[in-house]
Amino acid sequence: MKLLTHNMLTSHVKGVIKGYPLLIKATEVKVNEVEFKPEFVSRMIPKLEWKALVQAAEGLGQLNDLPNELVPDYEKNEEFLRKVHHVLMEVEVLEGCLQCPESGREFPISRGVPNMLLNEDES
Amino acid sequence: MEDAASQLERDHVHSVYEKIAPYFNDSRYKAWPKVRQFLQDQEPGSIVADVGCGNGKYLGINGDVFKLGSDVCRPLVDTARGRGYEVQVCDGLRLPYRHGCFDAVLSIAVIHHLSTKERRVRALREMARVLRVGGRLMVYVWAMEQKRRKFEKQDVFIPWNPNPPSSPAGGRRWGSGGARRGAPQGEEHVVHGGGGRGPGRGRGPALPQGPALVLLPLPGLGAGLQQPGRAQAARPGADRAPGWAGAPRAGAGSGAHPPVLQHLLLLLGARLGGRRVRPGRPAAGPRDTPEGKPAPVFGAIVGGCSSVPLPDLRQASSESLQDVQLSRWDREKPEDSCLRYYHVFREGELLDLIQNHVEELHVLQSCLDHSNWCVVAEKVQVWKI
Repeated sequence: MKLLTHNMLTSHVKGVIKGYPLLIKATEVKVNEVEFKPEFVSRMIPKLEWKALVQAAEGLGQLNDLPNELVPDYEKNEEFLRKVHHVLMEVEVLEGCLQCPESGREFPISRGVPNMLLNEDES
Repeated sequence: MEDAASQLERDHVHSVYEKIAPYFNDSRYKAWPKVRQFLQDQEPGSIVADVGCGNGKYLGINGDVFKLGSDVCRPLVDTARGRGYEVQVCDGLRLPYRHGCFDAVLSIAVIHHLSTKERRVRALREMARVLRVGGRLMVYVWAMEQKRRKFEKQDVFIPWNPNPPSSPAGGRRWGSGGARRGAPQGEEHVVHGGGGRGPGRGRGPALPQGPALVLLPLPGLGAGLQQPGRAQAARPGADRAPGWAGAPRAGAGSGAHPPVLQHLLLLLGARLGGRRVRPGRPAAGPRDTPEGKPAPVFGAIVGGCSSVPLPDLRQASSESLQDVQLSRWDREKPEDSCLRYYHVFREGELLDLIQNHVEELHVLQSCLDHSNWCVVAEKVQVWKI
């Protein structure tokens, strides 16, 4: 699971109001090199929940000086875009779980795949 | 009803895909052109959800777009993951994504596996929820109206055979997963409406070699959707459908009870896989196997209830159940549990679901493509006062 994916995922347990962002509890993290596409990254940025991304990266020790606040004119800032690219696309959680911030429900991640299935009483 | 529907989908969609996943290989079949085009039309940096992605057939198209695939079937998701895609295991009725985060959503050959109208609507609403305003949804569902194939019921079970015979048709069978959710397509299949009844016979040109289809009307689920008024009116008679020797009363319309359904499923299992029935005449037109013998057809109609009279019910009780044809491959390895459930869509039905039940979606396009109804819809802002 890439951190870009994590940025889209939310807890959907019945009755939960604030299920975002999911807390990452990783036991295995891998960093893969992925081709850097500046346009892709700069178009992606406005779609992100920035704070959730920073928090997730920090939790995995992959923050890489990424600022807490989005920098202005990032489209032309290649250094910044590279950092974002690294966090979004290159860091992957292979094993661990995602925890709902409200209910505490944990969704396992195994072999890089989060299992977000709910039990019948949760949906 | 809800429990029955979800149980049915577990038994006849989810667990079937789990079983067939290791054999499921549609990678040599090309993506459907319209779906490919839809993905290629997305702007660089778009985020796309493929809900019901199966083994990830469409996740590799357009590298400038970020795609998330999801499916309820873990083995298929693992295959997609093995190809390097970003995937999750989840239920299409409860997507684990935040509101409005996708620029586009794909649902290719997925919601025809949901067994009630309410669940199909819920799946569409859920996909609309995760789309951004202005984002687009593409939906494909299997069509009831097909040139070379005729369904007599909308709720059908289609067998999937992991060990197709080594006949020329055997290779093509693998293509039955042309939609990655395995929507039968192309000309591999024929559905005939009941072992022995006139219209179901002699549809030679479209008859598959080796494996064939079973058309099983499903009591309760979906039957009342098309003509809800008539379903009510027909209920007393339908409750005593003659196809159910020994079966408890099967409810019509939305009135089916889980025990009825379970009984039906048990009965199906017994009829289709658990018993060896004497081979009889082919249930449909002649088509030779490589050995030069008429291809046996594994076909049965098990009766049921519907909002309309079912002339084949009598046939079912008096003949079909006693005269089920078992194909060679089936005799070799019974796979009675590999019956996939489909709700095939009538013309206009998918449009109706979206236009009348999902107010956030505005239909842009609707067409018949590869024996499937295809709709493209855009999410619109709905102002609530």
